[in-house]
Amino acid sequence: MLPNVKINSYQFLVLVILFTIGTSILIVPSALASDSKQDAWIAAIFGTGIGLLIVWFFTKISLFFPNLTFVQMNETLFGKWLGKSFSFLFVCMTLLYTAILLYNSGTFLTTHQMSNTPIAATNILMAGILVMGVRLGLETIARSAEIFIGVFFLLFIILVIFIVPQIQFENLQPVWEVNIKSLARSSLLLIVVSSVNAVSLLMIFPAFINKPKSAQKYFLIGNLIAGIVIIIITLLCILVLGADLTARQMFPSYGLAKKINIGNYINRVEALMGTLWIISLYFKMVLYFYASVYGLAQIFNLRDYRALTYPLGMIVVILSLIVYPNVVDQQKFETTIGLYFSLTIGFLLPLLMVIVYAIRKKQLKKVTKAS
Amino acid sequence: MKRGIFILLILSIILTGCWNRRELNELAITLALGIDKSEDEYLISAQVVVPGEVSLTGGKVGSPVTLVQARGGTVYEAIRKMTKSSPRKIYPGHLRMLVLGESVAEEGIGDPLDLISRDWEFRSDFYVVVAKEDTAEHILNIQTPLENIPANKMFNTLKVSEENWSATSGVTIDELIVDLRSEGKEAVLTGILATGKQEGGSSKQSLETILSNINIQYDDLAVFKDDKLVGWLTENESRAYNGIINEVKSTVAAISCPNEGKANIEVLDFKSKLKGNVKNGNPEVDINVKIVGNIGAIECPIDISKPESIEALEKIYEKEVEETINNSITSVQEKYEADIFGFGDAIYRSNPKEWESLKNQWNQHFTELPVTIKVDVKLRKTGTVNNSITEPRKE
Repeated sequence: MLPNVKINSYQFLVLVILFTIGTSILIVPSALASDSKQDAWIAAIFGTGIGLLIVWFFTKISLFFPNLTFVQMNETLFGKWLGKSFSFLFVCMTLLYTAILLYNSGTFLTTHQMSNTPIAATNILMAGILVMGVRLGLETIARSAEIFIGVFFLLFIILVIFIVPQIQFENLQPVWEVNIKSLARSSLLLIVVSSVNAVSLLMIFPAFINKPKSAQKYFLIGNLIAGIVIIIITLLCILVLGADLTARQMFPSYGLAKKINIGNYINRVEALMGTLWIISLYFKMVLYFYASVYGLAQIFNLRDYRALTYPLGMIVVILSLIVYPNVVDQQKFETTIGLYFSLTIGFLLPLLMVIVYAIRKKQLKKVTKAS
Repeated sequence: MKRGIFILLILSIILTGCWNRRELNELAITLALGIDKSEDEYLISAQVVVPGEVSLTGGKVGSPVTLVQARGGTVYEAIRKMTKSSPRKIYPGHLRMLVLGESVAEEGIGDPLDLISRDWEFRSDFYVVVAKEDTAEHILNIQTPLENIPANKMFNTLKVSEENWSATSGVTIDELIVDLRSEGKEAVLTGILATGKQEGGSSKQSLETILSNINIQYDDLAVFKDDKLVGWLTENESRAYNGIINEVKSTVAAISCPNEGKANIEVLDFKSKLKGNVKNGNPEVDINVKIVGNIGAIECPIDISKPESIEALEKIYEKEVEETINNSITSVQEKYEADIFGFGDAIYRSNPKEWESLKNQWNQHFTELPVTIKVDVKLRKTGTVNNSITEPRKE
């Protein structure tokens, strides 16, 4: 059987925070502002609220079977063939998202910092540490996350304090101009990116947590903390850059860091702030990759999931290079097909699980007791 | 363990430095960029630092900067073409000034600015100015006293004068783009012009006399409509503009005394609030100005040891500020029909629903917009002395 590791609730909390912030911190303010303009922060609050509901829903489902991962749950609920095919779809999604995040990290680095470096070079290096992390196992990932969350919040607080002098409250007015339709549309992206995609975390929760019951609370708290970070970043982008510039920029929070200038002395620190996004991007990526590798290993009943890391790592690098023909296509995908794909796996599938569970409840109890 | 060390060694060979490093001595560090347009072609002038001349040891014989120029159908093309005459590639990461020639400004600045907001090497903290009745090329071709590098002189002068005189406005590139994109505010840029003898500014000899033959100085503000230059404000209008948009930090104002002569007020704190309102479908704007100042100089017979005279001076100054602002708004409304003050934005902020119907004919509405101005002046101190030197001694 696959090696049995356990992480504690605090480590899980840290992973949830980093996973949820993930890419949202880089791209969500722009997406929110293009639909909701200066009310983007309201959309962020709205999105975080709905996101919490979704995460609560996930925790409820996963605690049907506190010892099984998402992939195993599929198999128990839907039977061997149907369950495995659902799981395969799930693994396809997480693998695709690993590649997309790799593409994002590559684009971010090559747009702003190393414009002449081929994107393949940055992606191969990033994929290298990705494979390394997953090979070392969940415990190592969780422990390094514990260290990096400190760095992350230190940089985040520095960013917030340094940017405060540039705030112009007029940028927020008029408040509540947005109509419900565009509010819902723009917050949907945030809900999907930070909460619905957290379905991938069901590969860890609750099977690899030492106290699943208390970790349930931490799942929600982690999502809330990350949501607050995103709300703050969105609010700052609007307050400092204004709605129009926020929507126009590819990575508005990086534009925010560019604005830092304390007495002509502390400025040009955006490269340092880039660390922030790289940390959150890495942990989101590594958790997606872990979910795909581990999920695939469980589908095929492999003895050790590590055998899959190299081939899947290579696939991810290649996929990250060809996944989008260009940046515009990426934005299109994220706001259309990507949304539906995530919602299918991250919302419809769990909903189906609840229904099947309700129907087969008695029968399943016998099975689990027998085993 | 041994394998780990081996891999580490291999990696350290592969991963040294960056993919395509550019050492400092391969860069042409550009501090000012000028854009002119002639016959459908852009002429780009880049003021590039000559490192040897600005180093602390040695140098100091030639000019600290040099001008690299190229023509091209687009700005990007021209910048890349500069490599034809410059041994180093233009690096705009330290850009301080972007000077737009009057010809470009009149034709529209939107297109040439796109590159600058899109390219990753440009930052967003440099100032944009317009060469008044001149080309950008000529402005960048002038040596300056005090500051070795003309671009730095331009940057610092604009910064200092914006803070202390308030008739100029340091507009950075993002502020400009926000104004250009906004439906309720037109853009404004500070003008820059060459003074003195018009010849020989580029040689260092022009600095060998105490009063330099030629110098660059800032002038009043240029008014844009959409992205085209439509005219220039006067000095008073420029100061009123800065007052309305709440950009005055400190300034000095000359006011007339109750009887005759002049007094100066040193403005320490200048706050203005713009409030839009729509009444029965008609937009209107309230401007609320609060000024705190000191008496800077008294050049008239007035006994300022009496509280009444301070009060009288406050009243006079209030009235003069109100008049200046009022006249400036009327003149902009009549002459340019361009809402540079952001009144449209103010109405959008207060009445977003009504703005939807107003914005299509905003220029029309702007010209007829009623503006109410309220000024409140508080004079706190009288400087280091009380009465003026010429005031007769009290017996």
